[in-house]
Amino acid sequence: MIQFARRYIHIVDTVNRRLGRVMMYSIFVMVGILLWSSISKTFFLPSLWTLEIAQFAMVAYYILGGPYSIQLGANVRMDLFYSGWTTRKKAQVDAITVLFLIFYLGVMLYSGWDSLSYSLKYGERSPTAWRPYLWPIKLTMCIGLFLMLLQAISELIKDIATIKGVKL
Amino acid sequence: MQYELIGLLMFSSMMLMLFTGQRMFGAIGAVAAVAAITLWGVGGSDIPFSSAIKLMKWYPLLTLPMFIFMGYVLSESKIADDLYKMFHVWMGPLNGGLAIGTIGLMVLVSAMNGLSVAGMAIGATIALPELLKRGYDKRMVTGVVQAGSSLGILVPPSVVLVLYAMIARQPVGQLWLAGLIPGLIMAAMFVIYIAVRCKINPSLGPALPVEERNISTREKLRLLSAGMLPLGIFAAMMVPFVNGWTSLVEASAVGAMAAFLAAILKGRMSYKVLEASVRQTLAISCMFMWIILAALAFGAVFDGLGAVKAIEYLFTEQMGLNPWIILIMMQLSFLIMGTFLDDTAMLVIVAPLFVPLVAALGFNLIWYGVLYTITTQIAYMTPPFGYNLFLMRAMAPPEITMRDIYQSILPFVLIMVLALAMMMAFPEIVLWLPNYVYGN
Repeated sequence: MIQFARRYIHIVDTVNRRLGRVMMYSIFVMVGILLWSSISKTFFLPSLWTLEIAQFAMVAYYILGGPYSIQLGANVRMDLFYSGWTTRKKAQVDAITVLFLIFYLGVMLYSGWDSLSYSLKYGERSPTAWRPYLWPIKLTMCIGLFLMLLQAISELIKDIATIKGVKL
Repeated sequence: MQYELIGLLMFSSMMLMLFTGQRMFGAIGAVAAVAAITLWGVGGSDIPFSSAIKLMKWYPLLTLPMFIFMGYVLSESKIADDLYKMFHVWMGPLNGGLAIGTIGLMVLVSAMNGLSVAGMAIGATIALPELLKRGYDKRMVTGVVQAGSSLGILVPPSVVLVLYAMIARQPVGQLWLAGLIPGLIMAAMFVIYIAVRCKINPSLGPALPVEERNISTREKLRLLSAGMLPLGIFAAMMVPFVNGWTSLVEASAVGAMAAFLAAILKGRMSYKVLEASVRQTLAISCMFMWIILAALAFGAVFDGLGAVKAIEYLFTEQMGLNPWIILIMMQLSFLIMGTFLDDTAMLVIVAPLFVPLVAALGFNLIWYGVLYTITTQIAYMTPPFGYNLFLMRAMAPPEITMRDIYQSILPFVLIMVLALAMMMAFPEIVLWLPNYVYGN
């Protein structure tokens, strides 16, 4: 059981960290798209695709980068009481409240999956001049939400290990 | 059950969840998801995901990572050091001059990034040790750095105003212009306060000794050119935007690129700086985006209930209150909430509640955006829970205690409250510039 938990945490954390480390450099991709958009607007014909590609890039940036931001501890907590607790007490409360986070992510993934299969079935396109298909970005979002869910479960396992005093 | 009651129940369960210390986006999102499913069944379960689609379509949100990136490039690469030296040399001979110079430094840093973190980092790590070494009163200068850095969210570009624009559905460009004059007025008020106090009691801010003032005019002029850098970055970003050559979002990318190039040209961009800037940009951007995502879902459920309409009816019809009294009550409750609510929580929770009410009362939402930002600034700084207070504690030299930090901000908070009252009494201060530029 402990062996399994260890392997799970190792795999999930490694995958998410590597993905996050790649995604963090994609800020330059966004800068590039937007710069191209302003250059093409000033000197040539305005590009139709830049606006939406930039939006897609931003969504990929924060959804796929999300699990890594959890690992970095970037997600603020209201620490009025939390900061005064011992590590054990923190883990105990977190182990319960993280279930709410998992529920929220689960609901998002569920309806995201619905929305993705609708897009695939009817070939849904964005109602703009460029008319891109919407399924690639929805697929990215579903993958990101799934990884986020895996990361939240990994945090739960770490909390349980802290409560039981097991070293992982 | 009545809609006001459901709304109240949602709000209190969210507060309860927040107090458990779970990650904020999880706490808010979970309450939204549970409420949506309980109220509308399976159809309601779409609300959290559809807010992600809504977020994607809100184009100006792209400015958020850009300005955060700009801020981190500036503070990590330490290109602001030269700026500080410029103020040091030029303002040093005056009593309290270095403190006044620090306010100037903060205004320039604010014009290059959209949060108060970068100003805080630069102020606490570069300016503060120098000021203390020169015998400045530690309580006064701690307050100067905190008050000055809070200008970051009022002077354009401002991330807080971008978020406000999203909630209030107002144009970001006009909001930014509206924030400019109040930001400068507030900086001027800080300067007057410092100058007067140092005039009365010169020991609070002694002038630089003669030997330190002996700097050749050439060197002085060379340092003055350091000030051109932020002006250059600001101009590269704002000129194409105001002239309509680029959109707001494109301008933010130009600004990010300009800051990045400036760091390279100054030879300050190492792999370490690059890695730290992009990593922290990802962390802070994700933090904001996920909270906005959850707050949008919460707001959508709240809108669906029509709870705001019910509250407005209660105040105006049943209690017969004047809109101005309601507005002042709102600002007061906002200030009180700000003392114990986290700043991010205020931003995403309070705004969706207040903004529709303000609109329903017939006030100008651009004007309210500035009031809102100043109130947030004050909340950033008021004990016991102010984001700036903790940042200050983390960054300031060890001789500054938490007690000093708490005491230092009091006069500045009073100045800011005064500024807030001024903006409320004379809306023209806020609205003149956007009306002039956009020819309303």
